[in-house]
This record gives sequence, structure tokens and C-alpha cells, in this order.
Amino acid sequence: MTAPRLSPAILARVFWRCLFLQAAWNRRGMQNLGFAYAIEPALRALYPDEARCEAALARHLRFFNCHPYMAAAILGGAIHHEERVAAGAEPEGQPLLYKQTLQGPLAALGDGFFWTALRPFFGALAALGALLLGGPGVAAVIVLYNVIHLTLRVRLFLAGYRRGDAVVAEIAKLGLPLAADRLREWGAALCGLAAAVVVARAAALSGPAAGVLAAVAAAAGYAALARGARLLPTAYAAALFGAAAAVAVGRLHGSS
Amino acid sequence: MGYLVLALVAGLAAVERKGFLQAMLSRPITLAPVAGWALGDLQGGVLVAAPLELFWLGAVNLGAALPVHEALGTAAIAGGAVLAGRALGGGTTPEIAILAVLLCAPLALLGRKADRLVEIWNERLAVRAENALAHHHPAAAVRANLYGLFLPFAIAAVLAPAGAAAAEAIIPALLRAFPGAAAPLRLGFFAFAGLACASGAKALRARRAPRFFFAALGLAVIVTLAAGRLHA
Repeated sequence: MTAPRLSPAILARVFWRCLFLQAAWNRRGMQNLGFAYAIEPALRALYPDEARCEAALARHLRFFNCHPYMAAAILGGAIHHEERVAAGAEPEGQPLLYKQTLQGPLAALGDGFFWTALRPFFGALAALGALLLGGPGVAAVIVLYNVIHLTLRVRLFLAGYRRGDAVVAEIAKLGLPLAADRLREWGAALCGLAAAVVVARAAALSGPAAGVLAAVAAAAGYAALARGARLLPTAYAAALFGAAAAVAVGRLHGSS
Repeated sequence: MGYLVLALVAGLAAVERKGFLQAMLSRPITLAPVAGWALGDLQGGVLVAAPLELFWLGAVNLGAALPVHEALGTAAIAGGAVLAGRALGGGTTPEIAILAVLLCAPLALLGRKADRLVEIWNERLAVRAENALAHHHPAAAVRANLYGLFLPFAIAAVLAPAGAAAAEAIIPALLRAFPGAAAPLRLGFFAFAGLACASGAKALRARRAPRFFFAALGLAVIVTLAAGRLHA
């Protein structure tokens, strides 16, 4: 029996809804509500029989958790399997098995690439853009990030839908872990450049001593954070150190 | 009116941060300029955007771990700085910005606690959805997902303007009472910005991050100094 194919309009609706995947994230089922919400238009089209549709929805209300971008691939793949279930080509447990198998590895891959590499890299790039070019610099970087992120999200969804289990090979071809390593290193370099701009600006606005102070704060701050210092107390210490140093330098100048 | 606008911006950012899209629109680098622009001072927002983005670069939602609520902190800081600048009759300056950071940054920690409450609330929504499906109301079951957007919006929409209001009241009073504090506070801002860059590099978790960070910093400073000498 051939599996029924869903219309592009329904697929577009599912993709739109998958942007709400974490709307009701909870410790019980994590993204279960979001997943059921996203896949519902596809299930309604695949199962005209109300009872079968409800049974399919109940399957997708079970525990699910993945990286929100990578989840698009699993959502597409789950629809691929539901089509086969609806056509009688697969047992009803297959979509669930597919989700359970892929959610962990893809979550790790997505966290490692998107959350700890791509987004921080673009965050650092946008920060440098803000320091050098102001608002337009930020806008350009954010647009670029979203072109990349949304393209990947759509491609992952379609790859999951068209290729089912073979989506794993498609994702492996992207070489995300290697790219993540490079992005993290270059992101750190961008932070260094941003620090240099801060140093130059401080020197220009408040004199060379202010530039030295900003450089010391960057170097000592890195050392403190690397030794496990907590972020917010370190920020208070840095700001107060800066203000106190300014007072001390002012007094020295005053007394000489 | 300013508080209402800030409430709306902060609420929408809190929704975008986790519940919908996640396209960096709630990150400090975007949110601070948007909040500044909405309150009539884009440059004020841009001034705090870069240090806050780098400072909270490591605030990411990995698995079930909850990061600090950087969007709430940013909305309060940017809003507070812009409103305080306006109360003083000028734009946002580094000394106003650092005071806004010192006053409002703890809201990011409070926001994390609020996120835990949101998760508990969402558990109830999950149970409600299961019950609705058991009673053959599939549409009501899936709709429960969208109700999860309400609480994060409401929390940020209340706390961010409250933080900004505190900043608007305290910062002008402080700077008027101690006019000599402006210059030292300006240096405090630059020290914070320097630390923020280090925090960003540290958050990138690369083995060779220190090498890349310090090499880029050193090289750029040397090039700037050399260019300055050539100019002179």
C-alpha cells in the first residue's frame, strides 16, 4: 500500500507550529505538549477517523525532549512514519521508536553546535558590530544568523520528512561538531577584538589609564572566571575596582 | 507610557527566548537596542547591548538546566538606563549604564527562579492536555501548549518595568547627590565591559579559547597603538 503524501500547506503549518515547540516546556513531559501541538495538523490529515487520530495524538503526548532546532528533523521524520502507519505499512509504535532513538543524540548535537557555538559566535560578532558600527552592525549580524538558522531548520524538517531514518546520514554530512570547534575558537577571538575596542574607547574617552584599566579588567576577569569565580559577583568587583582605581588615580594626580 | 512599552517589549522577549522562535531577538544584543528604541533612545540601548551580550554569552538553555534570565535583566537594565538618562535631561551615558547594571542585573537571577515556577505551571498544563484528550477533546489538548506562553510574558512584563522604575528613581538621585562620582563610575563601566569580553570568551568553552582571546586582544591593541603613532 502506498503511503499518502501530505500537502505543502499542511507541512508549512506543521513547521510554523514547531516554532512553538517549547511554549509549555515542563519537567513531566518536557516538549511533549509542543510536539503534539506541532504534529496535530498532519495527524488530522492522515487519520480521517477520529479515534485513530486521537490515538496518534496520544502517542505524541508522551515524553519528548530535543534541541528545538534539531527537533524539526525528528518532527519531519515522525510525520514520515505516521504516513506509513496510516497506510498500514508500519506498526503504530514505529513513530515513537523513531523519536526515542533520535531525540538524545540530536539534542546533544544541537546543543553542541547551535547553543554553544553558532549562537555565541554570532553574539560575539554582533557585539563587535555594535561597538564598531552601532545599530546597523547588530541588525546585519542578526539577519545573517537567522538566514542560516531558519534555512537549516527548514532543511532539517524536510530531510526528516522525505528521508525518514536516513536523516541521520544527512545530518552527519553537515559536519557540525568540527564546525562547532572552529566557531568556538573564532568566537573567542571576536571577544578579544571586542575587548580591544573597549580598551581603545576607554582610552579615547577617559585617558590612557582608563584603557589600561579596561585591559586589566579583561585579563584579570578571564583569570578569575577560569578559576571558578561566579559571574555576577565578579561583575560587581570589576565595576567597583574600576571606580575605586579612578578615585585613587585622581587623588594621586591631585596630590602631585 | 514608557513603562507600558517596556512591559510589552520585555514580555515578548521572554516569550521569544524559549517558547517561540528563538532567533536571537531576546538576546541582549538585540533586545537592548529594541528597548532603547522603543523608549526613544536607540543609542542608549546600543551602549549597553554589547557588554551585556558578552557578559551573558554563556546563558544558554542546555537540556533541563535553567540559565539566568538574561532577557529580563537586559530589558530592566536598558530600560532603566534610558529612563534615568531622560530624567537627568540627557542621553544614556556610561556612568548611568553601569549604575543600571549594578541595580538591575540581579533580576536575571530572580528570573531564573521565576522560570522554575513556570515549569511547575506548565506541568499542570500537560496534565490538563492529557485529561482533555482522554475526554475526546483533541483540539483543547493541543491548545494547552499555547497557554504556556502567558506566564513568561506576564512575569517579564511586570519585573522589567519594576526594575527600570527603581533605576529611574535611584540613579538620578545618586548622580545629583554625588556629582563627582560620574568620572569614576565611567571607568567602572569600562572595567565591566572589559570583564564582559572575558566572560564571553570563557563561555565559548573551547580548549584554545584563552589563546585566541588574548592573541586577538594583544594584536588589536598593538595595531591600534601603531596606527595612533603613525597618525601622530
